[in-house]
Amino acid sequence: MDARKSVIAIALILAATLSVILFGLMPGARILSLHDVLRVLWAPDGRIESILVWTLRLPRSLAAAVAGAGLAVSGYLLQALTRNPLADPGITGATAGAIAPIVACFVFLPWLSSASYPFVGLAGGLAASAVTFWVARGGNRRPLHLALGGISVSLFLGAITIYVLLLAGPQSTALLFWLSGGFQGRSWAQLVHMLPWVALGVAGALALHRVVAMFALSDHAAAGMGLQLNVWKPVLLILAILPVAGVAPIAGPVAFVGLAAPHMARLLGPKGAAWEIALTAAIGALIVTCADLAGRTVAIPKELPVGIITALLGGPVFIYLIQRGRLDFKAQQP
Amino acid sequence: MTAASRIPRRSNAWLLPAAAASVLLSLLAAVFLGVVDVPAADVVSVLTGAGSPEAHSIIFEIRLPRIVTGMLAGIQLAVAGLILQTITRNPLADPSLIGVSQGATLTVTLFLLFTVYIFDPGSNTVAELPVAWLPLAGMVGGMAAGGIIYLLAFRLELSPLRITLCGIAIGAVLHAIAIGLIAGWGSARIEIILEWISGSLYARTWDHALFLLPFTVAGLAVLPLIYRPLVLLQFDAPVARSFGLSYRRQFSVLLLVSCALAASAVGVVGPIVFVGLVVPHLARFLAGRHFALILPMTVALGAVIVTLGDLAGRLAGGAEEVPIGVITALAGVPVLLALLRKTP
Repeated sequence: MDARKSVIAIALILAATLSVILFGLMPGARILSLHDVLRVLWAPDGRIESILVWTLRLPRSLAAAVAGAGLAVSGYLLQALTRNPLADPGITGATAGAIAPIVACFVFLPWLSSASYPFVGLAGGLAASAVTFWVARGGNRRPLHLALGGISVSLFLGAITIYVLLLAGPQSTALLFWLSGGFQGRSWAQLVHMLPWVALGVAGALALHRVVAMFALSDHAAAGMGLQLNVWKPVLLILAILPVAGVAPIAGPVAFVGLAAPHMARLLGPKGAAWEIALTAAIGALIVTCADLAGRTVAIPKELPVGIITALLGGPVFIYLIQRGRLDFKAQQP
Repeated sequence: MTAASRIPRRSNAWLLPAAAASVLLSLLAAVFLGVVDVPAADVVSVLTGAGSPEAHSIIFEIRLPRIVTGMLAGIQLAVAGLILQTITRNPLADPSLIGVSQGATLTVTLFLLFTVYIFDPGSNTVAELPVAWLPLAGMVGGMAAGGIIYLLAFRLELSPLRITLCGIAIGAVLHAIAIGLIAGWGSARIEIILEWISGSLYARTWDHALFLLPFTVAGLAVLPLIYRPLVLLQFDAPVARSFGLSYRRQFSVLLLVSCALAASAVGVVGPIVFVGLVVPHLARFLAGRHFALILPMTVALGAVIVTLGDLAGRLAGGAEEVPIGVITALAGVPVLLALLRKTP
């Protein structure tokens, strides 16, 4: 797929995302007609339709799109960094690493403003993924170790999180709702909180696409082309965790998007890392927007957390990747 | 002969008596110590049949049932872990790493959510929920998850490493669904579910111990029967076959045994993480390479570690005890990470 086709593909996916968002403004506890939606979008007023669209449905859908793009790019960077098709923010422990300290802050340091949660999440996510990578020795040749290390780091942090929830008492209901991942009731303010982190991650990945492409070859090749590995590896890791840190405090863990989106993008076969990253972001946005729409329309008036939908979607992708047999398992035989 | 065989073998004769003694000691410590200070003399008089009614009920209705339940669960989880690690030839296999625990979590959650509607629509109180059926629900879920993983791996010629990865994938999906359901519909049941998920021995009764007992006994009874296949399955499939082992059948039988042991234990005590992982390693570390010694050591250490972990949780938290699952996670993860780092 050359550059022109890539542009078309990205445009199509973004158009699909926008139309999902647009049509997603219609269904809900109160169903609006397309005519109503367009009218209020064009000229907001104080009536119920306008409030439904502008304060309830639009911000959450946009938040879903932004979160999806961010998580997808994060997964792409982690996969390139480890040259491991199974890497994603969940599998490497980064999500759990961001979640656990945020839960702890919420319960034990209630005076801490929620604006600082992304920083807490960033520190936690970096620490957790650093441990995982240390265990997996970079994760390049050891997909099993990366997965097992990430899962055990996640289990460890999960046990702590659950214990904090037990201590939290009545607050635990709100926390659990957030922990299941979702966009219900997310506001413009929260979208604005999340946006810079995701933008920084995506823009950074696009700006450094040459470095990313060199990493995707091998450490030796990258070093041979004059890349300072010990400088760029941490930089890429931070870039990968930035969107997670931004998304986690708002949406909680949204599983498997970071795993599935890059693979879908690669299936389309764009030329070059820059186009892959852009496609990945667009696909991630589309997936999460669709998942969010499905989650809030399947079981009206209840909402299915978006995390369930993405897990149901991404789990099979993961299993497909394992079954396809492209992983180098020989090195792991004891 | 090689040089290695001439090195005098360290005597391991003391290990089994020592293990038995440590089981006994941990049992005694757990009976005598607790949040409620029962003087040692009272405990002794209760155990000999006398003593005040309060002390009697504390010992026989609160402490002993949870200790026994914990020991049985510990034995089952440890043996399940040993079998899994051996047959998948993966030193890091554990019921909670391959999806069995997550399957149990999901069914327990589903069970709690649906029984409220079926049994007593108007009520949301804990007491009226059929909590007694939780172990069975959890066990069914754990077995089902094990079955799914087995079917997926069967297509992959039962390759040990892919079993692990499939387990991780299935586990992650099931876990996400469970958490989502809890958040969406949990409301009044959150406390029970949370306590169960964290892996706890809180308020376990003789009923729980009786539920586990047949599984523990059956599991220990089949150990002599599965001993030879277990030893042979340490090798690659071709090697194991060359010893006359029907690889597929024995692998399936052992996986079934291990899933049944793990799932029933998880059903009763919740997903106590890492016991199944760490205990076999500890046993191997102490017993060397003799499988005949590793097995009993795993059994004994499983009982000891869960008992002591629970005791630590009871004493550390005071009135708000720390769930055993948290204790084992805190203690087990450093071990696990060191192991992971060292395995080639």
